[in-house]
Amino acid sequence: MNIITMQNINKSYRMGNHSLHVLKNVSLTVEKGEYLAILGPSGSGKSTLMNIIGCMDVMDEGTYCLDEVAVEHAKEKELVNIRNRKIGFIFQKYHLIPTYNVLQNIVMPLLMRGMSLNEAREASMETIEMLGLAERINHKPNELSGGQQQRVAIARALVGQPAILLADEPTGALDRNSGKEVLKLFGRLHDMGNTIVMITHDLDVAEHAKRVVRIVDGELFEGKEA
Amino acid sequence: MKPGELLRLVWMNIIQNKFKTIMTSIGIIVGAATIVMVIAIGKGGKEDVADQFKNLNAGAIDISYDGGTDERNMESGGESTGGGGMAMPQGASGGFSGNAGNAGTGGGFGGGAPSFGGDFGGGGGDFSPGEMPSGGDFGRGGFFGGGNDMQERMNQENITLDEEDVDDIETFAAGVTDVTISYTTRSSVDGGELEEAATYTIGGVKENYADMSNLSLALGEFITEADDENKEKICVLGASVAEEIFGSAIEAYGSVIYIDERSYVVNGVLETMGTVSSGISPDDSIFIPYATGVKYLVGTKVNPTITVLAEDVNNIDGVIAEVTEVLAATYPNAEFTFEDAGSKMEAAAASNEILTMLLIAMAAIVFVVGGIGIMNVLFVSVKERTNEIGILKAIGCSQKNILFEFLCEAAAISLIGGVLGVGASLLVTPVARYFGVRVELSLSAFLIALLFAVGTGTIFGFYPAYKASKLVPVEALGAET
Repeated sequence: MNIITMQNINKSYRMGNHSLHVLKNVSLTVEKGEYLAILGPSGSGKSTLMNIIGCMDVMDEGTYCLDEVAVEHAKEKELVNIRNRKIGFIFQKYHLIPTYNVLQNIVMPLLMRGMSLNEAREASMETIEMLGLAERINHKPNELSGGQQQRVAIARALVGQPAILLADEPTGALDRNSGKEVLKLFGRLHDMGNTIVMITHDLDVAEHAKRVVRIVDGELFEGKEA
Repeated sequence: MKPGELLRLVWMNIIQNKFKTIMTSIGIIVGAATIVMVIAIGKGGKEDVADQFKNLNAGAIDISYDGGTDERNMESGGESTGGGGMAMPQGASGGFSGNAGNAGTGGGFGGGAPSFGGDFGGGGGDFSPGEMPSGGDFGRGGFFGGGNDMQERMNQENITLDEEDVDDIETFAAGVTDVTISYTTRSSVDGGELEEAATYTIGGVKENYADMSNLSLALGEFITEADDENKEKICVLGASVAEEIFGSAIEAYGSVIYIDERSYVVNGVLETMGTVSSGISPDDSIFIPYATGVKYLVGTKVNPTITVLAEDVNNIDGVIAEVTEVLAATYPNAEFTFEDAGSKMEAAAASNEILTMLLIAMAAIVFVVGGIGIMNVLFVSVKERTNEIGILKAIGCSQKNILFEFLCEAAAISLIGGVLGVGASLLVTPVARYFGVRVELSLSAFLIALLFAVGTGTIFGFYPAYKASKLVPVEALGAET
């Protein structure tokens, strides 16, 4: 069963008088439980693709079905719902809210679903323990290492049990060991049945995924070899 | 998102930026304090007016003549209410000549026919009685009938209201329950604990003045008819005067003071009144019998005020018309000034309203400035927190929630400012009172200030909050802050 089905996606940006065609007829399918890496150099369009997959940006042309929802027809309210319930974002720079502690950052997607803090805390404890953050829940992000912050970001993405985990260069800001730990964690999450789409420019990182696609100048190719 | 959880987040943001919150709300603090003080001073002013007039009979009407300047009074340094008598211009020997017209300020009786020196009164009782309220024969003793008395009064240099006018009003004006006459002057007073003579207001009054002005005695008795007839040198002291001269009412009672170097026995001391009646502030005055004052203090250099008490407070205009007619019979071309208690209160209340409006305008300006301050800080805050807004949107926060969060923050900052402003007003109040401003704090003023504060913050916070809610997630996430 496909979680993501994209057909002929095109996206351009206007740069003054010129138009920059960033995605060119991109088609992609991702099955439920798949661990996919989108590999590409800087400027290839992989971040734009991730933003469209994550419903943070809109395509100019094409069709996109995410977990049986036709995204191209979705209104803002539905997009908000998709971002909250179907996608778990993991960013390169973690993007934690600095004024909230670990627990508050992690439960935020659940609060947005209308849960109370106590309900959200209960619902997230399993994830927090699985990621080894139980001792850190009252710490602020600036009191944590990079690896720990990324684990908080992963916990925040996981806690709502989304249809896909969408990771943008998840190891890009981490040292080698922390990066390895995060990738090992991704492997475990995949084994647990989570669908993971990871975007990276690093072949070594991409090789941890079960399937790799390349993006070059806005065009998508199957396989890691050029 | 549950409103409670959203408010929790708002509170977290505020307590983690305490200093910024306080600095942001300074405009609101000042605005709220101003609102409280404006209302409190306005209320104090109203109560001041009410206090000043609380013992005033609503039906009391003061009649005075201020049609000219009494040069003799000015020369002698005497002072009397009503603007002094009016000197007739040279050459007006025929009595009142023509229309006084310019009654009120200065000006002599100017030309213009007809002269009624000859055909009015001289003819012996030709005055039309039909014009008088009583409708009957208007021959008061020899006044209109005899002609001599009238001639004498018409030919006097000044129009000086006197006890005969009081009798006329009592007799001929309908709808009047009581009439009295009084004057004030300022004289040197010595005695008691005074180290040297001081100048005080002396009120020459009749025995019914106390009742008409609702004066209450703390000790002794007020001036009697016999005191007035016998020109007794007795006096009744106002509460403040008694305290200043003798230290207390008890010490004052039965003691002797010297007014213009003549001894007067203190026959009574008034309770604190706090009001002004017929131009006299009882607390700060010394009352003596009317005739005593005329004999020893003012002589003919006085322009007294007649006070009439209307039977029906709703018929003040009717009584004024009656009295005007009665006085017109004696002084055909003179115009008198009528002041009723209601008009005085209205005038005082109106000036108080103007002051309040000015202060409200000031408070409004302060609030607008404060609101703009909040808007600026929120714009900066939205800019600083663009990334955070992007994160919230990425994990599924709706535009409505972001709008609500920023609006709540603005409202909360304003509320904090409002509370601090109310606190500041409590600190300012004693200072204002020290400078003699009557300040009456009230719960409603506090609530209004808080309402204005929150309203201002919410209104001015809306646009930045709206901008925040409309940020595109991908742009907000990638923003360099």
